[in-house]
Amino acid sequence: MIKQKKKGLYLSDRPPLTPLKTILLAISYILLFAYVFVILWPLAQIVLSSFNGSQSQYIRIGGTYQFSFKHFKFLFEEKPFLKWVINTIVIAVATALLTLLFVSFTGYAYSRYRFKGRKASLMAIMLIQTIPTFVGIAAFYTLHSIISAAIPGFSRQMFLVLIYAGGGIASNTFILKGYIDSISTELDDAARIDGCGNFQVYRLIIMPIVRPMLAIIALWSFIGPFLDYMLPSIILGDPEQYTLATGLYTLINDSRNMHQPAFAAGGLLTALPIVILFIALQKQLVSGLASGAVKG
Amino acid sequence: MRYGTTIVDDIGNEHPRRNLSLALKGEIEKRQKAEPNKDVARIKSEFESLTKSANDYDKSLADVRREEKAFLAKAPERKIGFEKTVTDRDAKIRKWCFEAMESAARAEFYGQHIELSYDYELLARQHRMIAEQLPDIASVRRKTLNELEEVTAELERAKQEDQSQAKAEFQQYRQDRLDQRKEEKANLKKLYKEGQISSKAFENEKRQRDLAASEDIRAKKQLLPVEMLSDRKRYLKHRLRHDEKQAITVLHSDIADLRRKTPIEISKRFPWVSYLTISVPGLGQLMLGQSVKSIFFFIGTLYAYLIAIPYALGRGNYRGQGIFGLISLAKGGSRLDRSDIFMIEGVIAIILLVIAFLIFYQSFRDVHKNEKRMIKGIRINNWFETRTVAKRSGFPYFASAPSALVTLFIVLLPIAVTVLISFTNYDPKHQSKFSWIGLANYKQIFLGEGIAGKPFWLITGWTVIWTLFATSLAIFIGFVLALLVNQDRIYGKRFFRTIYLLPWAVPAFITIMFFSIMFSPDGPLTNLLHQLTGQIINIKDSPWGTRIVLILLQGWLGSSYVFLLCTGILQSIPKDLYEAANIDGATGFQQTRHITIPILLFQTAPLMIGQYTFNFNNFSIIYLFNGGGPFEPSKYGNTAGSSDLLISYIYKLTIQKQFQGIGAAITMIVSLVLIFITWIGFSRSKSFREEKL
Amino acid sequence: MKIQLNNIGKKYEGRENFTIRNIDLEIDDKDFCVILGPSGCGKSTLLRMIAGLTSITEGDLFFGGKRMNSVEPKDRDIAMVFQSYALYPHMTVYENMAFSLKMRKERKSVIHERVLEAAELLQITEYLYSKPSEISGGQRQRVALGRAIVRKADVFLMDEPLSNLDAKLREHMRVELVRLHQSLETTSIYVTHDQTEAMTMATKIVLLDQGKIQQVGSPTLFYEKPANLFVAGFIGSPTMNIFRGKIKHGHFLSSEEDFVIEPKAKDRELLKPFEGKKVAMGIRSERFIAGKADKNAINVKVDVIEMLGKEQLLYCQFPNGKECVISEPGYFEYAVNEEHNFHLDIEGLHFFDEETTERIN
Repeated sequence: MIKQKKKGLYLSDRPPLTPLKTILLAISYILLFAYVFVILWPLAQIVLSSFNGSQSQYIRIGGTYQFSFKHFKFLFEEKPFLKWVINTIVIAVATALLTLLFVSFTGYAYSRYRFKGRKASLMAIMLIQTIPTFVGIAAFYTLHSIISAAIPGFSRQMFLVLIYAGGGIASNTFILKGYIDSISTELDDAARIDGCGNFQVYRLIIMPIVRPMLAIIALWSFIGPFLDYMLPSIILGDPEQYTLATGLYTLINDSRNMHQPAFAAGGLLTALPIVILFIALQKQLVSGLASGAVKG
Repeated sequence: MRYGTTIVDDIGNEHPRRNLSLALKGEIEKRQKAEPNKDVARIKSEFESLTKSANDYDKSLADVRREEKAFLAKAPERKIGFEKTVTDRDAKIRKWCFEAMESAARAEFYGQHIELSYDYELLARQHRMIAEQLPDIASVRRKTLNELEEVTAELERAKQEDQSQAKAEFQQYRQDRLDQRKEEKANLKKLYKEGQISSKAFENEKRQRDLAASEDIRAKKQLLPVEMLSDRKRYLKHRLRHDEKQAITVLHSDIADLRRKTPIEISKRFPWVSYLTISVPGLGQLMLGQSVKSIFFFIGTLYAYLIAIPYALGRGNYRGQGIFGLISLAKGGSRLDRSDIFMIEGVIAIILLVIAFLIFYQSFRDVHKNEKRMIKGIRINNWFETRTVAKRSGFPYFASAPSALVTLFIVLLPIAVTVLISFTNYDPKHQSKFSWIGLANYKQIFLGEGIAGKPFWLITGWTVIWTLFATSLAIFIGFVLALLVNQDRIYGKRFFRTIYLLPWAVPAFITIMFFSIMFSPDGPLTNLLHQLTGQIINIKDSPWGTRIVLILLQGWLGSSYVFLLCTGILQSIPKDLYEAANIDGATGFQQTRHITIPILLFQTAPLMIGQYTFNFNNFSIIYLFNGGGPFEPSKYGNTAGSSDLLISYIYKLTIQKQFQGIGAAITMIVSLVLIFITWIGFSRSKSFREEKL
Repeated sequence: MKIQLNNIGKKYEGRENFTIRNIDLEIDDKDFCVILGPSGCGKSTLLRMIAGLTSITEGDLFFGGKRMNSVEPKDRDIAMVFQSYALYPHMTVYENMAFSLKMRKERKSVIHERVLEAAELLQITEYLYSKPSEISGGQRQRVALGRAIVRKADVFLMDEPLSNLDAKLREHMRVELVRLHQSLETTSIYVTHDQTEAMTMATKIVLLDQGKIQQVGSPTLFYEKPANLFVAGFIGSPTMNIFRGKIKHGHFLSSEEDFVIEPKAKDRELLKPFEGKKVAMGIRSERFIAGKADKNAINVKVDVIEMLGKEQLLYCQFPNGKECVISEPGYFEYAVNEEHNFHLDIEGLHFFDEETTERIN
């Protein structure tokens, strides 16, 4: 082991720098740091304003800065922020679980079995899903009324979960199917000889292997409700049922309730866990994204 | 269908007819076909001898039927005889023994009449099979039961005895083994500290030592008498269940094989059952003798007659009239009757009917196919065979049925409703009652007429500009950043990557809303612009100001995703490509141009197309930033603002201004374009090209 | 265990024709039977039918006299080694090997004992607690074998198990597999497209082509008495030289009429019915004798020489461009483009009917 690099010896694999390259490298660094500033400045504003006690209803730059938690306090005490958080988490967890339940079956079936309409059905649904359905959203109301007539206690939140999970079936099936396709079918055969039935092959062999992909699918379905503003704003009527996105929007959409710093504070609290999650899992998340379209 | 002179089994082998009267009919039929003009009576007279033997055959068949009846009636009597010979106590074994003996008797009886009918041949062979296999199954059970009894007794004894010594020995072993592990781990640690093994290897080895030790201890524990015996008992119990199940399955499938090889002769020539029972799924299966299968189809019948059809007729609807609601659209109804609900329930009724129709069709096809097979000579599946087939090839259907159902209602229903509404005059004046107006909405849009149609082309123009510029900007920024960061000599790659990920990681609605706040009058960025330029520029009041800021903002938001994707791909480009290029004398710039960029473009193309369609429909940024504004009533009318995209225009038309009809029509036009582009994206993706899907 | 295939056939759903049909085969207890054939000949289908992974359309399969058609793979008492090893990546080597016993709810002490035993036999005790991704290809191969051994199965099925290994390791594993087969005293069925593997390992070879059995027998039989032209062309390296021609006055006359061969008396008797008919004559490369002779001689030009040490392969050309391969001891001196005289050893001639491609002598 060489612990000390000997001076004067050129140890790098790379060719030495020419003056031109040095300039180019410097420009690269300048550009990179400039963009770092472009990204961090607005985000920093969110953080700063959320702690700025000297602002009341509107966010202003400049002026006096007074560190305080009063906007957070406002969120928790004056607004049902905690309720929004719980609503969102409940919906997100339910969505993730329901999605996994649907998709793990369909993904396995689509990958391992040849049956009629296999290719066409998935493709058709994925294409049809690109149609925006503002107009048809009235159908959701009616559908909800019919289902809740049949099943009492079927709340709007449950319906929202069903919409999230149902809407993701096609694309998630597509992603999971692609992943299972890459597992050799000889494994299935071996498991069958070792004594597994149809379902056991999936539960004991395939599922543990595809667990990373299932985790990614679950994660995406979990994050979805945190990011979506539109559907909850349409489906959920009662502010008590609001999710974070719809709830926070009430803080800035009309002048009566306007409280921009509180919005910043709430945004910060919402964004923080998600950002940490993204940074920790960036590799897996990106690979999940890419495999959906590139590998398929 | 014809009788034919021969019959065919499931494998495709031909067999001669044994039923002579059917054979006669077949011969006559054959002759008639050969000489169509000949008189039927004369043809019949030509087969005099065959007719005679056919008559004889019918007689002897009738005799045997009587004998068979008498023989079967005596079964209880025979059973009393068997009961004397069987000494076993176990109920199951007794049952099997009786069954085997009865089967032996039957095999003998039917064996005498094999020549008469394939049914008798099947029965004879089937019973012989049962008579041969059941005693074996019984004896395996007997043996296992005995063993189980012994083990149970032994276990009881062992539990009574003093086990402390064995336990102490085991504890000693456990301690020793744990000590050994400790020592091993200490050694590993030393090696690691000395730098002889990497940290990864160290962790790995440690894990393996743990596993080895716990596995050894567990195995040792199993050697304790009580543990061993109870484990053995558990094993025997499993064997008892499993062996029996397996052997019975084998017996059933052997019989199934026999059935496939032995044809059937029936006098039916026309598959009338399937036509007769077309309206009651399950009845046909029952009439063909598939009783268990029929239960499932009967459930389908119940669904059709108790749910689907009543609903379609208007029963049990929320407000509507079932399928008729689609025609009437609540015309002339009370104030509470709303056209849209009538329409939606009409669509639901259609979906339910389609499902019912599929059940009817499947049932009819099933019965029809089976009848036709029987006429040909093929025996239809018994329940065991049906179940086997369903288990083998039915799995994908069972597995995806719930998903299909949810997709049908969650995804397809709203879309179907959208399509239908685009043909109605659903607008603010016709909120509760609207009616069909054909293609009028589409006409309005294309001609740019009416309140809603007027700004359509203007908005389309901006949507296209927005899509192209916003997406391209994001892709450009992401691309350049990825190329810059991933240069060899850049340090702090992790730092840059983490920062550049942020716009993607922070929920978009938060950043968009915050930017919106910052650009509001007196907002931080407005003030900043004021300081910089000396003028008060109110971005949100200027159409092009808003548009440009929107494009820049989307560039900011979208670049992260592109950056991450490109980084992933850049890291996966094999190094030797660059080394080869180096040897070929390519400069760094040339390498980027001729290797990196083509690979990036090629691999990300489908995803980039996805980015364009995403932005085409990027509702939230438009809506949350400036609500589509600023408004220019002279150009856009009252509904749309100058930064509205088609998608947000549709939102405003339908949700805010209640021009649902024309909104739906615009949706349809937009969707056709979108579907086309998405389809191109798909067809370019690897999985589609390789026909793997 | 004795394995018997009676008139086995397979027709896949949605296909018109049988993939393989009319397969009659008997594999004796403790045989090492190699099913050999070019890709797409149905050999894997046959193996999968024996394993129970593919259903049997017609015919009967017996293991030791018991009909197995409808027995589930797990209950057939077989073990199978796959081409890709098919190790479960999420389990340790130990768990991989124990899995089948665990599925059978076998007693835990028995499982532990058997896994350790197999691991010792295969010298993989060290890696027992590693994951398959952490060990080398050769070790994975051993684990796959170990997984099969642990089951104590009566029948060992192997589907091209060596094709993923490099040449050196493959040679080594061939020997080891045979040794293992002998020590376990099982019946083994081994599928491959590599005739060297078949010739070196098998006690019985089954050569399949286009869904039909071409020949069954010992490796020697395959080498010395190929049943038809296909077998002759498939077995042996270098492949047998085949000359087309006809029988004239009891002699073989090549189709270009450039040489005449006088078969031995016994062959002449058998060739009598073929007088004037088209016949193919085969001769293995080592059955050429260097030097001039009055009868059965040929004169060829050496085109390429492949020196293998103890012997050399001469790729030769007749004056009319026809090619043949001749092997001679390594110490003989030949040079490219030289013309040489050889004559044919009439004991090593194979005659085939051109019409049916069947063997005549």
